This record gives sequence, C-alpha cells and structure tokens, in this order.
Amino acid sequence: MTELTAPNVVAASTRSDRRRKLLQNLLRGERPYMLYIAFVVLLVVFSLSSPWFLSVDNFLNIGRQTTLVSIIAVGMTFVIIARQIDLSVASTLALSGMAAALAMSQINNSWIVGAIAGLGTGALVGLLNGILTTQLSIPSFLVTLGSLSMARGLAMMVTNTKPVIITNETYFAIFGEGSFLGIPVPIAWTLVAMIVGILLLHYNVFGRRIYAVGGNPTAALYSGINTKWVTTAAFVLTGALAGLAALVLSARSHAARPDVVQGMELDVIAAVILGGCSLFGGRGYILGTLFGSLIIGTLNNGLVLLGVSSPLQLVIKGAIIVAAVAFTKR
Amino acid sequence: MVGGINKRFGGVRALRDVNLEVRAGEVHALLGENGAGKSTLIKILSGVHAPDSGTIEIAGKPAAFDSPARSREAGIAVVYQDLSLVESLSVADNLLLGREPRARFGFVRKRELMARAEAFLGELGIPLDTKATVGSLPFAYRQMTEIAKALMGEVRLLILDEPTSSLTSDEVRILFDAIGKATRRGVGVIYVTHRLNEVFEISQRVTVLRDGANAGTFVTAETDMKRLVNAIIGTDRLAPAASRTEPAATRTIDPSPVLSLSGVSNDRLSAVDLSVMKGEIHGLAGLIGSGRTEILETIFGLRSVESGTLAIEGRRWLPKGAADAIDQGVALVPEDRHVQGLVLDHSIERNITLPRIPHFSRWGFMQQGAATRRAETAVARLSVKAQGASSLVRTLSGGNQQKVVFGKWNDPRPRVLLLDEPTVGVDVGAREEIYGVIRNAARDGSGVLVVSSDLVELIELCDRISVIVDGRVARTLKRGEIDDAEELHHLLQIYQASEQGVLQELPA
Repeated sequence: MTELTAPNVVAASTRSDRRRKLLQNLLRGERPYMLYIAFVVLLVVFSLSSPWFLSVDNFLNIGRQTTLVSIIAVGMTFVIIARQIDLSVASTLALSGMAAALAMSQINNSWIVGAIAGLGTGALVGLLNGILTTQLSIPSFLVTLGSLSMARGLAMMVTNTKPVIITNETYFAIFGEGSFLGIPVPIAWTLVAMIVGILLLHYNVFGRRIYAVGGNPTAALYSGINTKWVTTAAFVLTGALAGLAALVLSARSHAARPDVVQGMELDVIAAVILGGCSLFGGRGYILGTLFGSLIIGTLNNGLVLLGVSSPLQLVIKGAIIVAAVAFTKR
Repeated sequence: MVGGINKRFGGVRALRDVNLEVRAGEVHALLGENGAGKSTLIKILSGVHAPDSGTIEIAGKPAAFDSPARSREAGIAVVYQDLSLVESLSVADNLLLGREPRARFGFVRKRELMARAEAFLGELGIPLDTKATVGSLPFAYRQMTEIAKALMGEVRLLILDEPTSSLTSDEVRILFDAIGKATRRGVGVIYVTHRLNEVFEISQRVTVLRDGANAGTFVTAETDMKRLVNAIIGTDRLAPAASRTEPAATRTIDPSPVLSLSGVSNDRLSAVDLSVMKGEIHGLAGLIGSGRTEILETIFGLRSVESGTLAIEGRRWLPKGAADAIDQGVALVPEDRHVQGLVLDHSIERNITLPRIPHFSRWGFMQQGAATRRAETAVARLSVKAQGASSLVRTLSGGNQQKVVFGKWNDPRPRVLLLDEPTVGVDVGAREEIYGVIRNAARDGSGVLVVSSDLVELIELCDRISVIVDGRVARTLKRGEIDDAEELHHLLQIYQASEQGVLQELPA
C-alpha cells in the first residue's frame, strides 16, 4: 500500500537483556513460572512430610481426583479469557450425568446414546448461557448464577432426587475404569481435553478471536469479529466439557446422582485463575490451567495424607489459593 | 491569575509561557485547536499536572497545588465533559456526596441533607428537583447538577470544558442561565469551546492558545469572528499548507465512484448524499456531534441503515455488519484507537492480523509464520518504531500505535478507507508520515473518506471536502473552491449557527 520505506532497525536483544527479562518475568509472574515453582515446592514439602505421598500410585490418585476439575477448567479458560465467567459448570455436570444415565436406561442401554446425551446436554446448557449473555446483554455472572440453580433443580426433578444406576460395561470401560496405553481412562480424557484446548486456543483461529474479544471487545468488533458468536462458542465448549466430566464421573461410580460435585465451580475457577488467566480477559494459558488444577488436587491429597482435619484443610486451601494469586497477579 | 506557565511532556513542549487572567464575575472563553494546549492548561489549574515553571495567583496570592484536592481547596472547580456524578443517586445526594450531614454512628440525616440541597439550589436560582435520580435527568440538567456541585463550598474559579458539545440548543440556553447565575455571585469562569458563536454570546473576554503559546487575548465586544479564527489557526500555518498540497495534485483521480451514498438515513443521519471516487481523498468537516463519525460507522456496518442506498463500485450493497464491510473491501481507522482500534496488551502482530485472521490459517489452524511475516512487512513499510512485531502495542507512542491501526488495513489494499481523526494525539513528525500513508493509499486506488477536526489537515489532504451539519451534507467543496482553513472555519460556524437558529451578525 505504501512506499514509505524508512528502514526499520529491529534491535537484536543481547543475551544479558534476555536474562534480565527472564528474571523480571519470574518476579512479576508475566509467564506462569511462579506457578511451576509453587507446584514443585508443594511436591517437595509433601514428599518430606508424608511417607506415602511420593509414589506412582498416589500420583495416579491425584490425577484421578483432579480429572473433573481439569477437564472443565479447560473450557473455563476460554470463557475467562473472553472476559466472562461460568458459575453453572458443577450443576451442568450433574444434569448431563442424569441425562446420560436416563438416555441409556431408556434407549437400548447403548453407551453411544449415553455419551451423546451427556455431551449434548452440557453443550445445550452452554449454548443457553452464551445466548442469554450475548443476545440479552445480561452479565454472564448473573446468567450462570441462574443456570447454576436451574440446572441443579432440573437434575433433581427428573428422578425426584433419586440416583440412576448404569449397567453398561463398555461405558464403564471407556469413561471410567479402563485404561488406554497404560493410562487410566479418566486421566487419558483429561489429556485429550488439554490437547484439544491447547490446539484450539494457541494454534487455531478460534483462539485468536477469543483473545481479541477478551482483550478489547470493541476493537474486536471494529475488526469484523463476531464477538457474540465467539463468546457463545466459549460457553458451549465449557458446557460440553462439563458433559464429558459427567460421563467420567458416572462411569466411575456406576450411577448418576443429581447432587454430585456441589460447589466445584469454585475449584474450577480457582484453578484457571491460579493458572495465570486474567479475570479482566485477554490473557491465559491452557498449560497454566493444568498446573492450577494440579496444585489444587495436590493440596487436597497432601493435606489428607498429613491427617489434617477437613475444616482446617478448607482454611489452608483457601489461604494458599489467595496467596498464590497474589504472587502471580500482574 | 496565571503567569508564564511552561509544561513539557518528554520532548514535547505542551505549554510555552502561557498567561491567562480571569477576573471575578467574568466569563473568559478559552479557544484553540485540538492540541493547542487548552487541556494541559486546565489540568495544571486543577492540580492534575504540575507546571515546570511559572506562577499561579489566586486573588493576588501565589498558589501552588500538587493534587486536585489542593486545587479544589484553593477554590478552583472543574466541570469535565465526562461527568463525575453517581447516576443512581438523587441530585441532593450527589451535591453533598462525601459531605453528608451525619447523625451518630454515621447515619445520614436525610431531611437535613434535602433541606441543605434545596436551600443551595434556591440561592443559586437553579431549577432542579433535588429528589430526582441523576441518571433519569436530561443531559443539560445533569450538567447543571455538576455545576451546582462544583459551586458548593468556596469557589472562585469555575472551569467548563466544552460543556455544550452534546447539548441541544434549548439545553444550551438552560446551561447559559446557570453560568450567568454563577458569575453574578462573583465566580470567574473559564469557558472552553469550539463553537465561536457561543463565545460572542456568553463571554466578556477571549484568550486563544496556539501550539502551546498565547495567540492573543481579546475583549469579546471589540473583536469579530474573522480575527478570532486568524488567531486560532495562525497565518503562519496557512502558507506552507498551500505549498504542501502540490505533490498531491499530481495524483490522478479516476472519475468512477468507488463508494456512493444516496439518501442514507438512520437515527443520526438524515438523507446523506455522498460519493468517493477511486483514488480520491474526500474530507468530512463538521463540529463534534454533527454526524460525521456516524457516517463512517454506517458505511462500516456498525449502524443500521433505515432508508437510502449505498453502492460499492456501482453495485448496490447494504452493510450487514463490520465483517460484511471488510469483505467488501471497506476499512475503518476509528476515532479512538485505544478503545476501538487496538488490543493494547497484545502484540503488534496480533493486532495487525486481527481483521483477517482466516487469511493466516489453514484448516482453521494459524500459520504463525505467515502472520509474523505479514506483520513484519507492515512494521517495516509503515516504519513503526518498535523492537519488532512481537512488541506489545501498549509500549508504543501514539503515532506508532496509529501506524499499527493503519497496518491492520495495509494488505490487501482496501477499496474504501475510512479514517476518523487519523492524527489525533500524534506528534508532528509521525503526522507527516501518516499523511504519506494516506496519499499512497489514494495513489494505489483506494477511495479515502477522512473525518478531521483539524481543518488545515483537511485542506492539505483532500480533493473534496463535504461540510456535515446535523447529520446531513450541507455542502461539498472541490479543491480550489476553498484554500485556507480560515474560510472553511467560517463556513462551518455559519452553517452550525444557522442550524441552531442563533442567527446573528456573522462576517462573511
């Protein structure tokens, strides 16, 4: 477009420059290095103080326990980077689990029907969250506060609060109890969610749009980006992942219950924020989210092994989360 | 009251030995183009910035303040364009915000609060309902609340920064009454405006700033519009502007319209007729609120068209949204680059590729190499001064940020390039570079539509200039029909005045 060709000198950054920058980043937490360090510190502390902590079995245990939070946190990362919040994820999980179990009990006891019903219900709740947020311009905090209550209520209504038993062995194997290449399937599904999340957020066009919408919605709009659609898609993704988490949970417990994982949305949000996402949008990493949820899972596990009473566990967990966010905030 | 104020921002001297004297009970108008130093002077008076040198005296006593609170204590109150009221509270609550009459344990004595607010407004003679919620009031009444709030306590000097820019003519009248009531109490008023007819209506004296220095103080009754415009624009700037237009004249303009609007109307526009030729730079001149920005936003699909038609290269087209406009080859460099143009916390590369993300992807996956190359090319071509395409936009200067916004639309060449105040907040050197970019875009065949408050800029750049008043094109001028900014300024004022019905003696 232009012949305006003043030569642009790109200053080559010297080695000392780079080293200073790395140090700055470490101190100010511009990259989530602090998070990795915090995780390692946590591992060392628990290893030294509990003889049972440092074992393959226990690590698999931590992996299994964090599965639900990790899977949903992938979606929540998209939502929070897009400057939104989804409080309804735990209720969505419960409702999706009920939908999956009921669909299987009604239609041929087929695991495929169950999977589709579970994922579909989750995605549908996400779609409603997204549409209400973007089309009616209601803050997502309020929309999802409402759907938190509605989805939980619906999950309880369908069976009058009774659990639904699942009997399909293939379903158990695929989502809950089998293993794939030696990895227990719940952990395998977590990895699948993470990889899909990384590809979508960091390598895909969709991710670019999510960052732009969260970084500056007006500028994104003025650049021709359909900000409403992009925001809605983030909610749908989160809902669908809540559905996936529901499949994993119900396959592990051979039943769907309407009252499971109450309050888990707070762990999910804490994991994402610990992982370096900005609540003001435009910033965050999937890998950070993974470490965020691992820290929460490790804390839960380690404190139990140390024999800390469960009320004290809550206090310690909350304090560590606040402290970690204070360190990693920018 | 103010003597020999100097202020530097980095390498830019924002104010040079500025003097200003305001007498008690006087309305003193402060004029100047954007960037002439009016806002800086106000910020110094209100304690937001400290002067590098110079003195401020209040009632003969030297004063110095390092914070807005100290300035307020000294009796200076500022009413800003963006109001500082709590919209959900009542007028009375707002007036006494932070100074509520209290009972024991911090309870507010509501009845006394109401009584005090009523008494104060009665004394001022301002007709406001103290119980009304501020958010429910029309804009002029909110502004009156703001003025009343500013006058609470000991006030000697009231500063009004473009108070009428978004008011209707009836509302202007209400506001002027309120100002009159303040001056009768002996308050001195500094009145900042772009509308010259208001100067003659309300002020006793006028001070003009140009390029950060005094360009004259006049007694309003003894001067006329022509002299004021001369002082605002400066004769020295008129001559070089004419010579700089020469290279532009060599550009050939294809006589086929690349964009045409006929009878386009919506909530802010009424029957706009406009055409932009291939390779033409077409200017839109008008005061703030005249609808000039809304014309660009309508073409870019950000406002719906209620009636009328648009055509791109002869094909009829109704913009359905920004994405649709971009597909048609329409590009917009918006007025506020921080809010509308850029994601400040993201890199240059991310910003430049934003409007065309799909072009840098295969099967939905980003081709990071292609995106980076594209951004580096744009950085080099537009000579953006940055470490590289991965630098955060926030770290760049205003001029370089604006070049990044241009870079978003650099490749492929847009058919229609819409520019809204392309050089606001840009220093002189970068401004010339941006002019070069605009001229090159036109030379390469884009039709350029540019909105600017800087009339010298419009005359220097444009092949044709349309005067926008009240959401319609009042007149279109060809290059040569008008050749200095002074004439154009007169024309704008005359059209604006006739629109407001404030018909008065206007020198031709």
